Amino acid sequence: MASIHHSADNAPPRPLLQVRDLEVAFRVEHGLARAVDGVSFDLAAGEVLGIVGESGSGKSVTALSILRLIPDPPGKISKGQILLDDLDLLSLTYDQMRQIRGNEIAMIFQEPMTALNPVFSIGMQVREAVLTHAKISKAEATDRAVGMLEKVGIPSARRRLHDYPHQFSGGMRQRVMIAMALVCHPRILIADEPTTALDVTTQSQILDLMLELKHHESDASIILITHDLGVVAETCDRAVVMYGGKIQEVGTVQQIFADAKHPYTEGLLASLPAMAGPRDEQLYTIPGNVPSIMDMPSGCRFCTRCEHVTDRCRQEEPALHEIGDGQFVRCHLLEPGSKPDSG
Amino acid sequence: MTTYFVRRLLLMIPTFLGVTMIAFAITRVVPGGPLEREIMQLRLGGVTSGESGSGSSSVFDPTADMSSEALEQLRKNFDLDKPGYVAYFLWLKKIAVLDLGESYLKREPVWNLIVHRLPISLTFGLSGFLLAYLISIPLGILKALRHGTAFDFISSTLVFIGYSIPGWALGALLLVFLASGRFYDVFPLGNIKSSSYDDIPSLAKSIDDVDNVSDEFGTFEWERLSFVSKVIDRVYHMFLPVVCYMMSMFAALTILTKNSLIDNLGQDYVRTAFAKGISPARVILLHTLRNSLIPLATGLGHAISVVMAGSYLIEWVFNIDGIGYLGFTSIQQRDYTVVLGVLVVNTILTLLGNILSDFLYAMIDPRIRFE
Ligand SMILES: Nc1ncnc2c1ncn2[C@@H]1O[C@H](COP(=O)(O)OP(=O)(O)OP(=O)(O)O)[C@@H](O)[C@H]1O
Ligand code: SF4
Ligand SMILES: [Mg+2]
Repeated sequence: MASIHHSADNAPPRPLLQVRDLEVAFRVEHGLARAVDGVSFDLAAGEVLGIVGESGSGKSVTALSILRLIPDPPGKISKGQILLDDLDLLSLTYDQMRQIRGNEIAMIFQEPMTALNPVFSIGMQVREAVLTHAKISKAEATDRAVGMLEKVGIPSARRRLHDYPHQFSGGMRQRVMIAMALVCHPRILIADEPTTALDVTTQSQILDLMLELKHHESDASIILITHDLGVVAETCDRAVVMYGGKIQEVGTVQQIFADAKHPYTEGLLASLPAMAGPRDEQLYTIPGNVPSIMDMPSGCRFCTRCEHVTDRCRQEEPALHEIGDGQFVRCHLLEPGSKPDSG
Repeated sequence: MTTYFVRRLLLMIPTFLGVTMIAFAITRVVPGGPLEREIMQLRLGGVTSGESGSGSSSVFDPTADMSSEALEQLRKNFDLDKPGYVAYFLWLKKIAVLDLGESYLKREPVWNLIVHRLPISLTFGLSGFLLAYLISIPLGILKALRHGTAFDFISSTLVFIGYSIPGWALGALLLVFLASGRFYDVFPLGNIKSSSYDDIPSLAKSIDDVDNVSDEFGTFEWERLSFVSKVIDRVYHMFLPVVCYMMSMFAALTILTKNSLIDNLGQDYVRTAFAKGISPARVILLHTLRNSLIPLATGLGHAISVVMAGSYLIEWVFNIDGIGYLGFTSIQQRDYTVVLGVLVVNTILTLLGNILSDFLYAMIDPRIRFE
């Protein structure tokens, strides 16, 4: 398959993180479910990369694989490489991997309600993250925790150290999660739908906070997982569009929004409220449902729902190939030599 | 939280009233109670003094040859002349000042009978109780971590076999097999210690010999070992009954620990903890276990009532002179002041146990504490 390195002249010399041909399978009742199937992408230092796609497209599984947090059993990373600099994370021992988690790569999750342990104070939980990776005293760790909690906008942070998660609102809890993730100054922050569980106002506050911290504080690269292309437009540099466990399109945010090539990406864009015309017009939705990973169609994964589907799509799987300047698409229509669909 | 506990304490009152009211009512209506017994004794007394040659028909009616005044006097003694609720409130008034009345048979204040026996019962009950927690929790953790393996399956089978045998029946079985001498004779048949500590022969004697050899060292050693051997003697006598107490809670606690831990291992906060780079041991023994203990703490009150109920038969089987034994024999002998006295103490202990478990719950789970 095609490689998705940035073209040599306009990209940093070497990406911080390279995911290569990642394959993750879950053992289910009737065999193996390949939730992620040959996913490759790069993350440059300081970059904000979005991963978008409908529910079940394999976004979370991809993210969890990077930290090797796939529950095993039933899941297993069956193939691929995940390179942090030159270090293949998949070849590390368990203890070496623990040094990466929370320290080099940190993660925040969708549900701030349940992602924090309900029976420990937030001070304990943030401090624990510090003490796991830094050989410092408890008092120093507490100071760092307070500092970080202040930076994420927890009012009177030191006084609230002894408070428990249930004493915070959803947005505040997500701020605590962010503080906990950034307190060890990781190089990569993976945020798996960090705002999905929050109301709209809080959503944008949290996204703003993440970007602000990135610019002024941590300069961590961010992988932002979302099913909302609007969020990608506001926050990301580049985006990966996933469907059925495979990458369908990769490009800069400008490329994706101004010049999306893949029918699936076009469908996602058309269903964005802002992109649809007048208010009273009904929002577009992609017809049909995401097939379960157990009965993905052969050929193109999107062929059951695509408006431009041809016989070839149903038989032959398209490859991911570059259509220019770092934009990659997986679609027969856009392969070199094939004419645009006239139907 | 204070209001919460005040509310719980106040809620004890109706429960206590309900339990004692029912028991009190039963003692008044079930035949063979103290009144009948007293009458029977008077009558028998009459027979011996030769006043009753009159008729064999009166055999079926014990009151027949009694003067109605004497009968009335007796009924008065037992408050049977008053309506039930009046009698109950009179009884309650005495209970309030810890006057539990006097045993009909032992002619001794019930309070004394109970106070002397309570420490023995508590020693056995609490030992079994602690042992159950000490074994069930680690076993439950191990089963959760090895869920689905042969170890899990075999231990579950054993646990459920144990669960299906009541504590007192297990006690009887253990006595027959391990203490009767018919099969093995490794444990004593009952009681709580050897009839005299001096009976513990082997250790004390050999130490005495040592004593002759080296004085100051020997004396010191003797003191120490004699205490140790006392402890060993206690453990030796307590072993079987404590095992029986333990078995009555063991299965429920083990399975509860296992299920609760498995449940919690699937929670989001566990994934967060792993994502921080925390060691698996810490994630399981600190983050997950603390959450898993919540149902165990709330089950504590129930566990205490299981111990209380179990004590009646287990103490009887092992011939332990505790309040369970006292309660059981008093029921057999219809010594109702003692029965009610034991019930009062058991009810209060159980209710306090419930409050203790609420308290532990609040300690473990801040969501309760800050309500
Ligand atoms: N623990 C698991 N056991 C079995 N299958 C799983 C497990 N976790 C994920 N999968 C499967 O992997 C596929 C991809 O799931 P994933 O969570 O990555 O989707 P997603 O893109 O994050 O969707 P969402 O927007 O709903 O979070 C799903 O079809 C799901 O069935
Ligand atoms: S390959 Fe065919 S089915 Fe798949 S997206 Fe392109 S046109 Fe649609
Ligand atoms: Mg997801």
